[in-house]
Amino acid sequence: MSADTGPGPAVELRHVHKWFGTVHAVRDVTLTIRENEFFSLLGPSGCGKTTVLRMISGFEAPSQGDLYLEGRLANTIPPYHRDTNLIFQHLALFPHLDVYENIAFGLRLRRLSREEIRRKVHESLELVDLTGYGRRRIHQLSGGQKQRIAIARALVNEPAVLLLDEPLGALDLRLRVQMQLELKEIQHRVGTTFVYVTHDQTEALTMSNRIAVMRDGMVEQIGSGRDVYERPRTRFVAAFLGDSNLLEGEVDARDAARTTLRTRGARVVGPGGTDAAPGTTAYLCVRPERLRLFAAGEPPAGYENHLEAQVRDVTFKGAVIEYRLAAPSGLALIAQAHADGTPAVERGASVTAAWRLDDGVVLTE
Amino acid sequence: MTTDATPRTPRGQALVIPALLGPAIAFIVALLLSALAIMFVNSAYHYTGTHVEPRVTFDAYRRFFTDPFYASVMWQEVRLAGLATIVCLVVGYPTAYAIAKIRKTGWVIAAYVLVFSPLLTSSIVRAYGWFVILERGGPVNWLLLRLHLVSAPVRLIFNFTGVEIALIHVLLPFTVFPILSILLRTDPALREAAADLGATRVQTFVRVTWPLSFPGLYAAAQLTFVLAMNAYVTPQLLGGGRVQVLPLLIYQDISDLNWPLASVEAIALIALVWITMLVSNLLFRRRLATVGERG
Repeated sequence: MSADTGPGPAVELRHVHKWFGTVHAVRDVTLTIRENEFFSLLGPSGCGKTTVLRMISGFEAPSQGDLYLEGRLANTIPPYHRDTNLIFQHLALFPHLDVYENIAFGLRLRRLSREEIRRKVHESLELVDLTGYGRRRIHQLSGGQKQRIAIARALVNEPAVLLLDEPLGALDLRLRVQMQLELKEIQHRVGTTFVYVTHDQTEALTMSNRIAVMRDGMVEQIGSGRDVYERPRTRFVAAFLGDSNLLEGEVDARDAARTTLRTRGARVVGPGGTDAAPGTTAYLCVRPERLRLFAAGEPPAGYENHLEAQVRDVTFKGAVIEYRLAAPSGLALIAQAHADGTPAVERGASVTAAWRLDDGVVLTE
Repeated sequence: MTTDATPRTPRGQALVIPALLGPAIAFIVALLLSALAIMFVNSAYHYTGTHVEPRVTFDAYRRFFTDPFYASVMWQEVRLAGLATIVCLVVGYPTAYAIAKIRKTGWVIAAYVLVFSPLLTSSIVRAYGWFVILERGGPVNWLLLRLHLVSAPVRLIFNFTGVEIALIHVLLPFTVFPILSILLRTDPALREAAADLGATRVQTFVRVTWPLSFPGLYAAAQLTFVLAMNAYVTPQLLGGGRVQVLPLLIYQDISDLNWPLASVEAIALIALVWITMLVSNLLFRRRLATVGERG
């Protein structure tokens, strides 16, 4: 669908700001969304992600900075002249039209022939697996079906960019997971660029090629799901994407190979080559699944970091077992282990929590 | 919210609804239905010229349906109410649309006060206000003369025109309100969705806003028409006896103690309103059904 458009990003924001009165909703956002990419804007409510989406769709104009769609400056192009389609948070299906007319809405405005409209509507109903639902009324559909009709209504116009504003929020967990996979599958099939707004980190990780994590109107980090999860750039990103152990300490020494931090009661090492200057405060971030537990006092070979701790709580979570640990210094840690059948460590047991140098990430902000 | 909805005993619930509806139903039955029954009985009785004799003759019906005067009064009344309804819709829809778009609270309040101001004045004061404005030497005639639109003052009171103008003035709030309330209830995301799918502002209005507001428009039309049909004070004062409508005739006949004729006129008025509503409901049934169902 966008195969014949030349190279160049589907969407590009350059130093975009948005003020609503005195509220600075979007602050200096610069990002590039590539053709055929599944791109997510992830962040807590009020972080500006929806405003960014509304600027791309044309419902808001940037207060400052430039927005390009397929290389064309698009700051003031009205929504009805943009090659984008938006799936609204509450879907906004037309209650006075049936399924067929909802999907045909955009096609009729483009004055396509009756035959062509019929063919395209049927194709898109097929795409979302709702063949034969054309004459249903919107209020006769289930939540998941409405969802799919909204997708069909947008995709039938073959937009260069499909924008999705937390469309799965209203569904129950099981249906949401199913729709996530379906959306991913549809994106794969049609090859359209998807821009997806969500506050759900699992959803973003499940579906996206790349994620922009936003906070207070700013982009904190852009990268693949694996990037932002395993190599967060800030404490906010680390905390927003799942659980993490954040060890605060003073930078003792730093070189290309390793950074040493002096934390409460222990010296820990993380990867080198960071901008953590000696004497300043930095944080070592270690994901719970990277911590390994050993019997107390047993010096584990090959692990650069080890902390003596006591198991305070053991939670069986199905696929994983979660341990809450407390070090004598008062430091609290979370560790996760696969529930692979080996006996779990008992609550109250003394253990050594250990991790390798490159299991951690050194953060300065 | 969900905790409030804990199921009670079915028997307790079964009593709540009749208990709540009771007073209203008692009122309607006692006052409306019994009055209607008496009216039907009266309509069949004989009027001697001074008093009613309880003798079933159907004289009043015969007179009502054979004397062309009554047909002309009904026709005039339907024209009066129909025109008032049309003008109110044409003026009221844009007004409601504009008010629905106002963002600043202060202006919203100002607009509401302006639209509803006719209802805050007594009908007598309102009527005399119109006398002052519409009389031969009043500002309207002055303006028409100055603009050379007319060569001599036009008659704007004590005729159909005067009644129509005053009727539209007082009925406009009843037209604006149902339209405004449905426009405010319409999800703004629907208009955005239309724009997103390629509709210009005009196309969005034609394809989304207008059809979704149709039930409100329809309710407004019915309300305005019924109120116009039943208007008494405005035709009485601004018609000056020259504009006859059924409510005026009913009052006059009651004054003459001609209960049979007054009853027949009242039945005719009720029938006229009901028939109009039924016919329009049948005409617009499909239109209303498709919008009325909301998920």
